[in-house]
Formats: sequence, structure tokens, C-alpha cells
Amino acid sequence: MARYAMVIDTRRCIGCQSCTVACKVHNELPVDMIYNPVTTVGPTGVFPNLHMVHIPLLCMHCENTPCVDACPTGASLRREDGIVWINEKKCVGCKACVMACPYGARISNQEKGIVQKCDFCLDRVDMGKIPRCVQSCHQKARIFGDLDDPNSEVVKLINSHHTVRLLDELGSKPSVFYIYGLEAQMR
Amino acid sequence: MKRNFDFEQEGIQVKKSCCYFCHQNCGVLAYVKDDKVLAIEGDPDFPTNTGGLCCRGNIALLHLDHPDRVNYPLRRVGKRGEGKWETISWDQALDEIAAKLGQIREEYGAEAVATAGGTQRTDDWARRRFMNLFGSPNGFHNSHLCWIPTFMIETAVCGWSPFEIDLSYSRCIVLWGQNPGASNMPEMHHLSELRQKGLKIITIDPRFTETAAKSDLWLPLRPGSDLALALAWLHVIIYEGLYDPVFVENYCEGFGELANHVEQYTPEWAEPLTWLSADLIRESARMYAMNKPGNIQWGVAMDQQGRASGAAIHARTLIRAITGNLDAPGSDLLTGPSLEFITDEEMEANEYLSEEQKAKQIGADKFKLLTWPGYSKIAEMSKKYWGKVPTAEWMCEAHPPSVFRAILSGDPYPVKALLVSATNPVNSYGESKLVLDALREVDFMVTCDYWMTPTAALSDYVLPIAGALERPTITSSYGCSDFLLASQRAIKPMYERRNDYNFWRDLGIRLGQKDMWPWETVEDAYLHKIEPLGYGSDSYDEFVEYWRFHFPERQYQKYLDKGGFGTPSGKIELYSSVLKDLGYSPLPEYVGPVENEIDHPELAEEYPLVLSTGNGFMPFHHSEHFQIPDVRFLNSEPYFQINPETAEEYGIEEGDWVWIETQRGRMKQKADVTQAVAPRVIITQRGWWFPERKMKEPDLAGCLESNTNVLTSTRDEDCCPLSGTWANRGLLCKIYKVDSTEQKEGN
Repeated sequence: MARYAMVIDTRRCIGCQSCTVACKVHNELPVDMIYNPVTTVGPTGVFPNLHMVHIPLLCMHCENTPCVDACPTGASLRREDGIVWINEKKCVGCKACVMACPYGARISNQEKGIVQKCDFCLDRVDMGKIPRCVQSCHQKARIFGDLDDPNSEVVKLINSHHTVRLLDELGSKPSVFYIYGLEAQMR
Repeated sequence: MKRNFDFEQEGIQVKKSCCYFCHQNCGVLAYVKDDKVLAIEGDPDFPTNTGGLCCRGNIALLHLDHPDRVNYPLRRVGKRGEGKWETISWDQALDEIAAKLGQIREEYGAEAVATAGGTQRTDDWARRRFMNLFGSPNGFHNSHLCWIPTFMIETAVCGWSPFEIDLSYSRCIVLWGQNPGASNMPEMHHLSELRQKGLKIITIDPRFTETAAKSDLWLPLRPGSDLALALAWLHVIIYEGLYDPVFVENYCEGFGELANHVEQYTPEWAEPLTWLSADLIRESARMYAMNKPGNIQWGVAMDQQGRASGAAIHARTLIRAITGNLDAPGSDLLTGPSLEFITDEEMEANEYLSEEQKAKQIGADKFKLLTWPGYSKIAEMSKKYWGKVPTAEWMCEAHPPSVFRAILSGDPYPVKALLVSATNPVNSYGESKLVLDALREVDFMVTCDYWMTPTAALSDYVLPIAGALERPTITSSYGCSDFLLASQRAIKPMYERRNDYNFWRDLGIRLGQKDMWPWETVEDAYLHKIEPLGYGSDSYDEFVEYWRFHFPERQYQKYLDKGGFGTPSGKIELYSSVLKDLGYSPLPEYVGPVENEIDHPELAEEYPLVLSTGNGFMPFHHSEHFQIPDVRFLNSEPYFQINPETAEEYGIEEGDWVWIETQRGRMKQKADVTQAVAPRVIITQRGWWFPERKMKEPDLAGCLESNTNVLTSTRDEDCCPLSGTWANRGLLCKIYKVDSTEQKEGN
């Protein structure tokens, strides 16, 4: 069984938001709904000594899932391969999971009366394809793969770089790893 | 692309199409069934984008059948700009337009018909062919702002423009006024890959851009001071002995003159002009000169500086030449035109335009390099050396601001008709108020477009044009590269849309050019172009499906075999005989930005801030895509950048609406208070109009309200004397908050 994960190389991300739009189009989301915003921090410093970093955000596909625990109807689920998803047929839109998620990754779709979020494009993953945001990224700043495959790019990157998982201290054990370093450490 | 899309369903075909929302033409796979595109994704096998698509590329299907698209030929029924139209057939529209053009030619001469284009989103060799056969020399684009002055000056000095950068062997690249992080994603990707392997990146840009943030060295120069910086680089490279003495000795002419000429241009001289420290100027020049081989990548910045443009481009060309970064592995390559396929120029029928008509080209008497006088000279030189010549469309055109002025004044002669294809001049050309007046004034106007733009709204006829997935595309750098990338149409054009090629062809046939248009479809014409490559494809589509690209084998240092370079002397002419013969300085002479505090202290008192306009930003391209909410939400309103120190001085806070005013007029954008720009610098966004508003006179969807081209200058004396390019950058402006009573829409 695979164990899916994503590595995001913030040294490569240029904040173009191609992933944001690719995701919206793929998931046919209303204009005000975004699964994976790109947050730009900066430019920080004082001209001309500046620094800027872009941090793409999405569902962290945690191993310990406060959202799934909070769901009263069993609509929020975690698959064996690690993908956390919502069975829309069972979702009643109560938003308990929205409150529970420490990453703000779950969004209420007012029109449909349900909660939605990134599910690593499980429809594509089940076809053997990579998530839409990963394919769309010119910069190859998003890398998707299987943590149980020692030859996968994600395993290699995680083992050869200093990576960070957001709010790791909560014990949620996200499947999204960030390579974060100053520009000088690019090489 | 929808969820759960079955890529393997019965009857589905995968078409090798491309994106058409900028001229990178990223490869796109279109999944088509029953002549409908059901899904698209980036083509992982395409050499440039390798599967990636930017935010624009991703919305191709929303663009394809957007409810605001123009789908049928429209004829104006009300007054100009009143917004009343009737739908007619293509045949009727073309018959009527042809009759009107014939009548104008009869009465005023063929030169009274002009045509305006935008960026390369069309088959403009066909436009040129039509115009040549019709007899008018007055076609133009805003190509002056984009590469064309660079191409022609570099060709004058080196015998061809070294625009092919051999990045994989390079150690250092200079991104001079280029921001691939927002305008050229495939390039940015390759730069990032190579940077991890040690490539040094120097970014020269007044803004801390997406690209500057990923660079080894960032030079935030004063907008419009590129010439001073380039001259100081030449000084450092020559007087610190960092040039390539063997290359200079054997392959360059005029080094002594150049060395004497730039002696005065020390980094200390440049410091107050560029706002960069002499140390930083030295450090950057050394980084480029000492990390060989290296590249200087072209960016639009130097093409958009008006009177200082030509000299700045010239100086940049010389930096490359004296460091020997020309045609060697890892440097900037002089490929010459393709000798293997039929080039765009060979499709243009330039030989059919009489000398008498060429002489009437508007602007040719003032700006000689990009018009028939300079082009003929360069074409002759190029023919002799390479055997073929650069594309005349783009490289040899009427001077756009002079044509707009001719419409208004009748000087040098009346211009009565304007055929507009793939451009919205009100927002894209300089001095928008003047352009708008001209569009209102011109007797007869036809616009070919996807949308009802402010320009289309003023037209007599608006014709629906096929877009990205509905047309085939050959990508070949304005017809000047020695390679080509070929893409096919995914589906037939929807509704009554047609390819722009068919517009020119069908119009030509109605005006007696029938024998000259043997290719019924654009695919037929493309097949004719690629046939000499010898792939043996029976159709253009077959070529795309089996081959898709043609890349010739890379040849370095061709000057060794060819006995020199393609200039009159056979050497790189640091002291340019071609420019001298045309009456210009053979060496780059310093001239300040069009408006600056040193030459114009009184002006600077009234307009104390330095303005730069025209740079690209995501998710828009030029003046496009404002209609599409799925990208517009990323940047829903116009913003300009201002440093916090300056903002505080003017009492401006983040998000305030602010008037920005130059001698030409004012427009308003919202304040983005950011450290990304220096104090006293104002950088605006380009292109803005508001499709969500009423497309009617006098507001025309707010086409002047936040339009940065209201501020730019196109006066003859502000234009580059060589190329005629006008001034988007290095201007002076003042700013003041929009009063609470002025916030209603419209100017």
C-alpha cells in the first residue's frame, strides 16, 4: 500500500498561483473557494535588502486527523494510502471539521451545503496520475509521491534536505513537507 | 479538466495543441471528442513547459466558450461606440469591407489604409502579404516596445541578433529588465534548475520581482537609467581588463574608438544617474565578465525607454561582444534565419510593394532603423551573408504614434481606414488619449478580436476570431529562429469564428489578389512552409502528430567557417558603420531618460516622482483576461507600487485610490505600499480596463480610468531616434489621493 505525500520546495516557488487556478478549474470551485492558496511573505526587510518567500497551502493529509475525529456523520475519512477525503454524500455541512482543522484547509461550500477540501486529486491518483497542482507547476516546486517507495523523489528529498511540517508540534503528522531555506542555501 | 475525467473513454482523441495566452506557446494536450474539447493539460513532452501551465493556461476551457466572446460577424447599426450591432454573414462583411477599402484606395491611395496589430498572436505574415499586395506600407504593431529595436540594433552591429541563449553551458546570466517569474514560466523553470547547479543570476530591475528574489545579485536601478549602467559596465570591463582580448583583436572592429568613448563613463559617473553604488556596478560587471561563458537575456525594459532606448540597446550589445560571449558554447548564439524551412519573410511578398509605396511609409523619414530605409540596408546585408533576411512584418513598420497623429491631422497625408487585429490600441499603445481620439476620428475601422474591447466597440465591423484551441500555431520567434515548434488545432473554430489568416486571405481575394493566395487553410500554408524540411508529412497535422518540432543541429562559432560575421566589414562592428550610414552615432552616446531631474529640474519640481510603466504581472497578459473571474480574483483591481517612505510623505495608505499624473494626463490605481521599490519610484500596472462595465461611449468600460498608457509619451522628440520606440519608462509623475467625491466610475 502506498503512503502518499507531497514535498513543497519553497526555494523554487515563485508565487505564480498556477496551482491555485489549476485546482479551482479541476474541482470546478466557485470563485470564492480556494483549496490551495499561495501565501506570499514579503518582501521583508528594508529596500534594497529584501527577502520574499511563497508558501503554498493545502490540506496536510495528516496521519492523526482532528477533522475526521470531529466529523459526526462519518463523511470525513482517511484512506489507507493516507489521503484524507470527504464523502460528499454523507456530509451535512455542519462545519465541525472546519473548526477542528488547525490548517484552515476545509472550506464550506455555501451553494452545495457541504464542506470541501483538497483530496490530493484522488480521482487522478487512482488513475495513476499526479495531482493537478503538481502537474501544473512550471517550477516543479511541488513533488508528489509514495513514502513507502524508497526510490521515490519525495523520500529522497525528505532525506536529503531539512524539511518542515507545519504545526508539527500538534502531533497531527502532516503528509506535506516543506523544504524551507534561505536563498543562499539553494545549492 | 473536470474531476473523474475518463482519459481512455471511447472516441477520445488527444490533440497536440498549445496555449495561446502569451507567445511562449506552451504545449497543451487537448482531449477531444465529437469536436468538443473535454479536458486539457500541459504536455509533459513539450520541451519548454514540460507539462507546466501558468494560471492563464489553466483556464483555456473557460476562455474557449466564455459568454462574452464575439462569435458572429457584427456590423455597427447605431452611432460609433453606442453599442448597437447587427449580426451579418462573413461573406457580407468581407464584401462590404473590401468595397470600402477599394474605394478608399481609389480616392486617397493605398497608403490611406493602415493596420494595427498587437503581440505575436496571429499569422502576421498573412497580414503583411495582404498589405503588400494591396499597396500600403502602413502596417504596424506595438512591437517597438517588444524586442524589435533590440533585434535590429543587434543585427546592425553583429550581423544577426544573438537571441538564442545557450543556457545549459552558461555560468552566468544577466536578466536585464526581464522578469521570467511573471512573464516566462518555462524560462524561469530552466533558470531555477541551472541555478541549483551553479548558474549565477544577475537581475537588473527597479522592482524586487519574483525573479529578483531568486537571483544572486539584484541591481535596483533608477527606472530608465539602463543606458548609464550599460556604459559604466563597458567602462569597467574595458578599463579593468576583463574583456576578451583575443576575440576583440580578431573579430571586432573599433575597439580603440569604443575604449576612448567610454573612458568618461566611470561607475562614479553612473552612480547618481542609476542610484546604484559604484561598488555594486563594478561587482556586477565583474560577475558577468569573469564568469564566462555567460548570457545577457533580452527583456522589454530597454525597448521601452523612448529616446534613450537605441543607445542603451547598442551598449548592451557591445558588452556581449567585447567579452566574447557571442556564438560560443554557453553564450548568446547567432543562429541566423532558417535555411531549412520557408521563413515568414518568404511568405510576405515584400517584392510586390513598389519603391514608390515603400517611400510613403509613415515615420520612415524620422525613424530609419525599423522602417524601409534601415530595414532595406539590413536585409541586403543579411541576404548576402545568410542567404535570407529578417521578417519584414515587425522589423519594418510604420511608426504607430505617427499613424495615429496622421489620422487626426492628415499629415503627411490622410489615413482613412484602420484594420485592427489582435490588439486593443487604447490600452496597449502609448498616449492613450491621443489613440482614443484617433480611433474615434478614423473614417473606417474593422476589428478582429475575441472580445468586444474598447477598440472593437468603436469599430464599424467586429469579426470573431478563433482562439487557442481552435487554430494551429507555428512558434518561431517572430519568424526569425532557425527552429520551429508546431501545434495543431484541437477543434474546428466554434460558432462563426475564423482564423485571422482567413480574414486576410478572403479580403485579399475580394481585392484582386486571388492568384497570390493558393493556400485555402492555414494548415495548407503551414505545410508549404515546412515541406522543405523533408519530413515527408502529407499534412500539417501529420507533422505535428509525428514530429512536432524541428531543431537543427547546433553549430557554434560559425564565423570561423563563414570567414567572419554578417556585417559590412565582416567583423563585429563595435563602431557601427550601419548605424553611421543611417545618420546615427556609431557608438552609444549618453542621453538621459526622457524626463529626469537633472536635465529638467523645473519639470521635476512639479512632477517629483520617477515613473515606470509597462511591466507584466500575473495573471494578465497585456490588456487581456480581465473578463475571466477564475483568474481575475488573483488580482481584481489595478495596483501601483510605492515605497512606504514615499507613501507616508503623501499620506497614502495601503489600498488607497491614488491619481498618478504626468504631463499627458492622469489615471488612478490603488496603492500597494511595498519595500519592493525604492523611495520616489512609482511602478504602475498596465493594460487595465473593466469588461464588467458598460462598453459604451464615453466611458468604454473605463478604458482610460486606470490605464497606464495615459501617462506615457509618444512625442517625436521623446521617441528613440533610431527605432521610434516611445517612452513607457523613466518618466516623471506626481501623485495625489483620489478625493472621496471623485470615486465614481469614468474619467
